[in-house]
Amino acid sequence: MDDILSKISSCVEFGKIDKASPYPPDMKGQDGADELTRKAIDDGMKPGDILEKALIPAMAIVGDKFSRKEIYVPQMLMAAKSMSSAMKHLKPFFQSGEAKRKGKFIIGTVAGDLHDIGKNLVAMMIEGGGWEVIDLGVDVGTDKFIKAIDENPGAVIGLSALLTTTMENMKKTVTAIREKKSGIKILVGGAPVTKEYCEKIGADYYSPDPQGAVNYLNQIVS
Amino acid sequence: MTGSTFQFDFKDLKLAVSQVESVMGYKEGESQETISELVSEVLKEAEEICTMKAEYRFFDDIAFDEAEKTVTINGLVFQIKKIIYSQIKKSDSAALFLCTAGEEIGARSKKSMKEGDLLRGYIYDVVGSEAVEAAADLMQDQLEREINALGKGITNRFSPGYCGWLVAEQHKLFQLLTDNFCEIKLSSSALMYPMKSISGIIGIGKNVKRHPYTCSLCDMKDCIYRRSKA
Ligand code: B12
Repeated sequence: MDDILSKISSCVEFGKIDKASPYPPDMKGQDGADELTRKAIDDGMKPGDILEKALIPAMAIVGDKFSRKEIYVPQMLMAAKSMSSAMKHLKPFFQSGEAKRKGKFIIGTVAGDLHDIGKNLVAMMIEGGGWEVIDLGVDVGTDKFIKAIDENPGAVIGLSALLTTTMENMKKTVTAIREKKSGIKILVGGAPVTKEYCEKIGADYYSPDPQGAVNYLNQIVS
Repeated sequence: MTGSTFQFDFKDLKLAVSQVESVMGYKEGESQETISELVSEVLKEAEEICTMKAEYRFFDDIAFDEAEKTVTINGLVFQIKKIIYSQIKKSDSAALFLCTAGEEIGARSKKSMKEGDLLRGYIYDVVGSEAVEAAADLMQDQLEREINALGKGITNRFSPGYCGWLVAEQHKLFQLLTDNFCEIKLSSSALMYPMKSISGIIGIGKNVKRHPYTCSLCDMKDCIYRRSKA
């Protein structure tokens, strides 16, 4: 692999955001994902290659380490932050169509629920998986999900809930999407949600952690 | 009906950096310096922004139904299910409680996350959660002293949403705690606001006991808060 790509990749994996960031200590004073990505683009590297050969693989390693409990939420967040510092240089190329992402992913915490930490983690990891993420926030009613689906045809949906009471609203949203739209993939998650519940309400996939969701998404586009 | 209200100073909670880190998953000494520094910064800030409040009210009009595993308080039937039932059935009265860390810490968490400072946002969130539990511990210690002085004991605290007791029963609990001192509001989906709040019941009587940990009673084996892995 190109030297600079492997450098960007390890910056993301270990959460080295930019030159100024003190973390991780052994990379102190060195360029971070931010500077290196800028440099790679200026040197003529293809934005699509940076995404596919550096950012996505690095975030996949991070996601797997988290699933195996080798790292914890803080390290995952640092990795995600350094990924976004690289991503900001790629955004213009996504807009111009020069670089492409895998698809769109709409995520929200269901109606009546205000929890967002878990949802944010999933959103970040899926963005790091090469998807364009549309985060509708918390307390998102069915209508808002349907509207977002209309505006983003072909998008995959993710629903999060943290209480058994609000999990009921997850069911309502899934039912309404199924009635009004066809062919939409729906992922569900959150502390009280289980695989059984996912099947019962007619959603497509349940994952207890973000990486499981990323893997599932990769599978649908492969 | 009587009870007590409390306002705690955040410092009284004695939250240590290592405790917050351990909730985030780190074993002692395993965390990075940058993270520890951030945690201690947030703990310092929390002293200014957390408004720690708690309240309990006593209820003498209580009755247990062994077959249904319910407790009736002032005529309202609570389906506490078998695990909690077995822990509090010998009580002759009960305290219902609420406890909160206030709104601000949750608001700062959301704000930081929105602005892209994900780690700081997450640390606010964890500190808020630990703070409300620590305040509830102080409240419970005070209750225990008060009850011990009467020659009685207390049980552990149990919350709707745990051990099979449905979260939806929060609505009944709040019917008994009108105009609560913590100023917690309950939504139709049984969510408390401020988010960093907890609620529940503590049994009181001559023949009840408070166990050091209740985790072993619970079936969420993978819970990050589990104190013993047994
Ligand atoms: C910390 C915590 C609290 C804190 C903070 C709450 C807050 N959010 O601010 C405090 C102490 C205040 C609290 C209070 C209560 N809590 Co609480 N709490 C927890 C705890 C221990 C951790 C939650 C957390 O922050 N996890 C960290 C985040 C990152 O994880 P996460 O949100 O689950 O997200 C991950 C996955 O679920 C997944 N995911 C999430 N969304 C999605 C979406 C998709 C599409 C996918 C694929 C994946 C996915 O990926 C994320 C990253 O790995 C959980 C138990 C647990 N171990 O999960 C109970 C838990 C959520 N609480 C619970 C309950 C019942 C309560 C109370 C109602 C108790 C009470 N009566 O006082 C109150 C309610 C508070 C309120 N405002 O109404 C229950 C909820 C289940 C239920 N019975 O409804 C839980 C599950 C514990 C249990 N009994 O099993 N709680």
